[in-house]
Amino acid sequence: MSISALWAAYGSEYLQALLTTWKLTFFSFGMAFVLGILITVARVSPIIPLRRFGDFYVQIFRNIPGAALLILLVYAFPKLKLLFPYATCVLIATTLIPSAFCSEYLMSGMNMIEKGQIEAARALGMSFLQMIRRIIIPQALRYSVLPMTNLLVATMLTTALGSTVPMVPRELTGLVSHINTHATGGVTAFVISAAFYCATAVLIGFVGSRIDRKVRILR
Amino acid sequence: MSAQTPVIEMRHVEKYYGDLHVLKDINLSVTKGEVVVIIGPSGSGKSTLCRTINRLETIGSGEILIDGEKIPEEGKKLAQLRSQIGMVFQSFNLFPHRTILDNVTLAPVDVLKRNKKEAQQEALELLKRVGVGDQANKVPAQLSGGQQQRAAIARALAMHPKAMLFDEPTSALDPEMIGEVLNVMTELAAEGMTMLVVTHEMNFARRVASRVIFMEDGAILEEGAPEEFFEHPKTQRAQAFLQSIREH
Ligand SMILES: Nc1ncnc2c1ncn2[C@@H]1O[C@H](COP(=O)(O)OP(=O)(O)O)[C@@H](O)[C@H]1O
Ligand SMILES: [Mg+2]
Repeated sequence: MSISALWAAYGSEYLQALLTTWKLTFFSFGMAFVLGILITVARVSPIIPLRRFGDFYVQIFRNIPGAALLILLVYAFPKLKLLFPYATCVLIATTLIPSAFCSEYLMSGMNMIEKGQIEAARALGMSFLQMIRRIIIPQALRYSVLPMTNLLVATMLTTALGSTVPMVPRELTGLVSHINTHATGGVTAFVISAAFYCATAVLIGFVGSRIDRKVRILR
Repeated sequence: MSAQTPVIEMRHVEKYYGDLHVLKDINLSVTKGEVVVIIGPSGSGKSTLCRTINRLETIGSGEILIDGEKIPEEGKKLAQLRSQIGMVFQSFNLFPHRTILDNVTLAPVDVLKRNKKEAQQEALELLKRVGVGDQANKVPAQLSGGQQQRAAIARALAMHPKAMLFDEPTSALDPEMIGEVLNVMTELAAEGMTMLVVTHEMNFARRVASRVIFMEDGAILEEGAPEEFFEHPKTQRAQAFLQSIREH
């Protein structure tokens, strides 16, 4: 089938799938971002067990393959009487993995903060949480806009995991498999999805570098 | 509290970094309104001494008292004590992501729970007083070193400290900016601020110091009125040190 024929037949489903991919991406990223910040605070906190937990969390989710995590959520957790819908399983997997990377990027952003500022904050009587909130996290975030932009793109690509389970509604990759089991879309069916992925990534990159320029810390 | 209770008092303070004995039996007191200048060669422990006073560094033994009370070891009490002692660093250490005004109001609002509007008003007055009132809405990187250091002094003053610690506040500055910072410090001293100042600015020490302390190898070797110390240093090491900085 040609692209135009495919589009005539499945156009609205592609748009629906694009929307699903976007939703999954932004929900996952949003949650990964919040989780990543919390994990990072744990990793630099004065409470040692909390630090250990944070480091452990990052080691686990940074190193587990997405497909393995999804299999665990879909097949293993029901054995523990934990039953999630497929979409929820995908969302959990595409949140946990990026959250570990988010924390890594924040940690390296933090390394760029001069130590003297932390001393100045302590000398002013700020508590750990005040320092985290006012000095450390705001700067770490500003230093990590570009890696976070890449993480957002990576999160989008990870949502293709949705194609490995019978998730409804389908996301972009899931739709390709669906089309190819019903018609002979072949690689063309994927080209349309790929174009959507690329366009989204370019848009994210553009917005990301605008934000980076805007919040960059003058030194 | 009696009139004689020193604002800062160190008794038999010892500190080691591993095997390195950085503070050796330090006894020192600074009473209200006094300006004590510490001089001594690089590596003699001046910064470490300063930093033990607000417990940015811990000590091995001995005690440090602020207004007659031992410094708390940690937690809220320690934070509260720190908020009462201003500190000015060699490298300014302003928060680069916030405006100068925010730098000055952050701690009063967060730590002292001051009303934001009032804190801003006071901050603007302080910034004016140190001569950077018109820089309030810029970020630190847009200011010269001298302006940054004066803003850092305003940031410390906004906490209404009982005493101010200055650790070589002009050492990172270009020569033409040193004067403007020393002028602010001189005014502060004239207004009665209790100050402990690590500096090599001899003219400042002569004009402003109530007392000069000479440190070497972690110990206080000599202590006296500025005239006496600069004209007639007792120890040979102080003589040699003064000689070496005069040759500069
Ligand atoms: N964090 C540290 N760890 C180990 N040694 C240190 C540390 N900080 C300072 N020192 C050492 O302690 C000594 C005193 O340092 P410092 O107080 O900075 O001296 P000064 O301010 O008089 O130049 C120096 O020998 C220095 O190398
Ligand atoms: Mg020093």
